[in-house]
Amino acid sequence: MLYSTKTYQTQKKLTNWVRTGSNPEVPGTVLEGLKQYRRLFRNNINNTMEQAFPISFEVLNKEQWKQLIDDFFAHHDAKTPHVWKLPFEFYQFVNKQKYSSKFNMPFLNDLLHFEWLEIEIFTMQDILPEPYKKTGDLLNDRIECNNEFQLTQLKYPVHLFAAKESLKHSGDYYLLSYRMPETYEVKFIDFPVLHVLFFEKICNDRMSANEIIKEISDQNPSVDKKQLKQNIEEFIETMFSEKVFLGYSETYQN
Amino acid sequence: MEYWKAIVYPAHHYSKTPSLQTSITPSLHYSNYKSMNKNINIGLGFRREIADAFLNQEIMPDFIEVAPENWIDLGGYWGDVFRKVNEQYPLILHGLSLSIGSPEEPDWDFLKKLKRIIKQFNVKIYSEHLSFAKLDNAHLYDLLPIPFKEDSINHIVKRIKQVQDFLEMPLTIENVSYYTPVDAEITESEFISRIVKESGCNMLLDVNNVYVNAFNHNYNTHEFIDAMPLEKVSYIHMAGHHKLNDNLIIDTHGEAIIDPVFELFDYTLDKLGRNIPVLLERDFNFPEMNELKLEMNKLRNICLKHQDQNVVQY
Repeated sequence: MLYSTKTYQTQKKLTNWVRTGSNPEVPGTVLEGLKQYRRLFRNNINNTMEQAFPISFEVLNKEQWKQLIDDFFAHHDAKTPHVWKLPFEFYQFVNKQKYSSKFNMPFLNDLLHFEWLEIEIFTMQDILPEPYKKTGDLLNDRIECNNEFQLTQLKYPVHLFAAKESLKHSGDYYLLSYRMPETYEVKFIDFPVLHVLFFEKICNDRMSANEIIKEISDQNPSVDKKQLKQNIEEFIETMFSEKVFLGYSETYQN
Repeated sequence: MEYWKAIVYPAHHYSKTPSLQTSITPSLHYSNYKSMNKNINIGLGFRREIADAFLNQEIMPDFIEVAPENWIDLGGYWGDVFRKVNEQYPLILHGLSLSIGSPEEPDWDFLKKLKRIIKQFNVKIYSEHLSFAKLDNAHLYDLLPIPFKEDSINHIVKRIKQVQDFLEMPLTIENVSYYTPVDAEITESEFISRIVKESGCNMLLDVNNVYVNAFNHNYNTHEFIDAMPLEKVSYIHMAGHHKLNDNLIIDTHGEAIIDPVFELFDYTLDKLGRNIPVLLERDFNFPEMNELKLEMNKLRNICLKHQDQNVVQY
């Protein structure tokens, strides 16, 4: 750094003013101009978060929202050069600083996460699938999954109920968020735990339906194999119709 | 600045298909979208709110300009839009986050991504602001004025050289608008001139910013233009602004260009003695496309006045 210590300290005072609105004694400045920077910069942050988290903005009262924005801008050192990724840092900040407890809104972290997920999936970089064919053997062939997804565990079902209503339904919820090929629409599917297992075996472990049935039956001899087969067939058919599964793999042959 | 306009909302957050404008005014000439026009190049900032108008050629600038921060790493719908628009128009990059006036080292990871985009789309101009937008690696997402001082010059010249060496191309540095000086020891014009000359970078001359700063800080626009290193000016920005009160103008890019700024542009071209790419910046409060076309035509007509001058190709 070739700045003098004095110049560096001046820059620090200026950014401190912009971020906190306190101590406007920045050398060689005009207060009226300084105020514009504080106003403009804070508006940027506020508008970005208001647009990224429209539901949270509605749920929180004005004072709570203002506190989050002011605290975030003042105390969080934003890492990303991409302002459209900043809402993720905001979500992390709120989570880490335990505002859900401070505001007595236990669902707040899940709500922010849910809202961020939609942006994250919508904007995530393209992950093209391996070659696949449209027809195949549902039980024996490997399935090619849509790679543009996230599987998330939530305590409060903010994806199923209004935020405050979700308090009455706390539990273990599994949310699949994914991007539709071609239309780029973001969709959400609430998974029961058995479907999480099916999904992970098929998409992560690249197992066929029959291999999954065998593995589960071997580990749990009392399981009703006929019912299990019916469950996994229905699951796979639904996932195909919802474009979560795209086709039968040409890379992974039996 | 277009920072907060960069948010890329999915379905319920934001309409992916802004309503289409229907009326079309024939423009003077828009014939070559693959390479910039050999005579006069009038560009328009590519913004998501008006993306469809570019893609369906309702409006057809000679080139487009984007902030790389708002497009790098994007997939899905907007990634697809970005690929398509780059097949139709030459691209200039105008960065927001380089923060050449920051005390810390440049963000090399970001610059690596930037270099890939520059090569991928054969970008000939990458411009940035003579300002700082982060301190101690904390981004602020807008532009702060640098103290006009000797040590600032030394620091920024070194930074510009580092970035130019890395990107293997000249950086084009823009004069920014500012609402207060900060511990200034020399004039703004001397500050800019010396940085441009000592670093070997090019200059993006934002004519609206000259007007805004001259109003806010009470100096003469023509004298300021005369004092610029005009031989290094390779790109011009034109934009509208908002007069907040009798003492202060804010550089918003949300209004039409006013006549005194057009006049200053005319004066600038006369002093430059050549035509260079000119961008109309509009970041929000978008009017009918016809109005933007009229503004672009007005810029083109002023350029035509100076067409006998040497033409510098992009």
